[in-house]
Amino acid sequence: MNHGTREAAPGRGAPRLIPFGGGKGGVGKTFVAANLAATLARAGHRVVAVDGDLEGANLHTALGVARPRLSLADFASGREEDVRKLLEDTPYPNLRLIAATHPNLESPQPNHETRIRFVRALRSLDADFVFVDLGAGSDAAVMDYFMVCDDGVVVIAPEPTSIENAYAFMRAAFYRRLRLVMLAPEVRRIVGTAMDERNERGIRTPMDLLREVQSLDGGDGQRFASVMRAFRPRLVVNDVRTAEDIKLGFAVRSVCRKYFAIDAEYLGYVNHEASVRDSVRARKPLVETDSRSDASVYLARIARKLIAPKRAPAPAPAAEVRA
Amino acid sequence: MKPLSEQNYYETLEVSQTASLQEIERAYKIALTTYAPDSLAGYSVFAEGDGELLRERVEIAYRVLSEPQARERYDAELAQPQTEIADTAGSDPGAFASSAGQSAPPALEPADDLVELDDGGGAWDGARLRRARLQQGVELEQIADVTKVNPTYLQFIEEERFEGLPAAVYVRGFVVGYAGCLGIDPQSVAGSYMELFEQPQDSGKRRLFSRR
Repeated sequence: MNHGTREAAPGRGAPRLIPFGGGKGGVGKTFVAANLAATLARAGHRVVAVDGDLEGANLHTALGVARPRLSLADFASGREEDVRKLLEDTPYPNLRLIAATHPNLESPQPNHETRIRFVRALRSLDADFVFVDLGAGSDAAVMDYFMVCDDGVVVIAPEPTSIENAYAFMRAAFYRRLRLVMLAPEVRRIVGTAMDERNERGIRTPMDLLREVQSLDGGDGQRFASVMRAFRPRLVVNDVRTAEDIKLGFAVRSVCRKYFAIDAEYLGYVNHEASVRDSVRARKPLVETDSRSDASVYLARIARKLIAPKRAPAPAPAAEVRA
Repeated sequence: MKPLSEQNYYETLEVSQTASLQEIERAYKIALTTYAPDSLAGYSVFAEGDGELLRERVEIAYRVLSEPQARERYDAELAQPQTEIADTAGSDPGAFASSAGQSAPPALEPADDLVELDDGGGAWDGARLRRARLQQGVELEQIADVTKVNPTYLQFIEEERFEGLPAAVYVRGFVVGYAGCLGIDPQSVAGSYMELFEQPQDSGKRRLFSRR
């Protein structure tokens, strides 16, 4: 199963799940996810790209699949139980798709249980990597998918609206996983309080929260510390135009560390260029239409870092198991 | 991680205690961006007055760490027993864990994202020069200021618009200056770039690389 070009392919056939979120719509999550998937597929990795956005599906379009036959919606509604049957071929070797088209508009989102079953099924797919492209916002449906691993990708654009939502998104992810892992009722209550930004205990950051938790029980303080360390969201800055935009990734990482005690990693950036828009219009990944463009070079660099062995210590128990 | 007010100068700049002067310079530049008055990264996070306070701390940290003698004195101070735990654990998470009453975890690697963001490799063509420049956070105007080369020429070098550039001997000089500003070996860059410059032009192949 190891070809020369593959590195860090997960062992024993279990694919590595990588979610792409970021809070704000329109920052390029789908573009980045589709192109990284295509980049890895070109390098010989077997990739499944999953559209997790039932209310704004368009990953299939980015990958040149005009009319997917089945989709996540069929799983959500119970029409199709076997996730493998949702897989669509794309025009590109090694790259398959699970679309999110034709949802039931009355209740598009699968419930929590169904989402957990879906993620479990994704883990059993025969692939090296499974990318999950998430919708905007940070509601429970999005967060469940973002927490399939400790180091999901957060896509941001150099604009205040994106930055604001990205912080909200990372905070939400952090508190949610914490609440799932910390089982003591009193701790869960405090975490629940902290999730409300206007809480009367004055908990503004995970650091404040730690103090509260520590004042209760030493064991929970330690668990908190390990959850905190394991959570390493990875930042991609899309649509950069200036050197200052590139530095934004480092700056956001600094703020994450200093204000939220979240140890984010700066994965890389993708520049603004005309060929990006052209590729979107052509409904093809840029790395296929113009593999020599600057943006393609940047995407290839991000892809390399994305699949490099993890630097973080062993992850905390997967949130979904507890849920 | 420690509250900002308890961080030492290295933690403030997010560099390891063995950081080179160059790493400190880079970290300082990033900190200036992070805590600038109109900081994008701080949007929705910094409270009133936060930025000013942080800028002050960053300035002090930089002033001490960028001056070898001051840094030496500061290191000696840090090595005093009362601060020992935080220092041996390296950067923030270690310090954090020790305060959480846990055995020291593996120290976090220094902020190596900068190093890892390589420029794609290959011959030194215009695109690679631009990538290297952007990666270091340098604007064309800054290179123009230092080298006194007309920024339009610098832009033409990046875009490989050779028809707009003067004779080879000048272009070589420009490229040497450009590379020097980025701290990359001017001779190998110039050698590589001039090979491209002196090639007969085949307009069909060149520059699908239009940007913006």
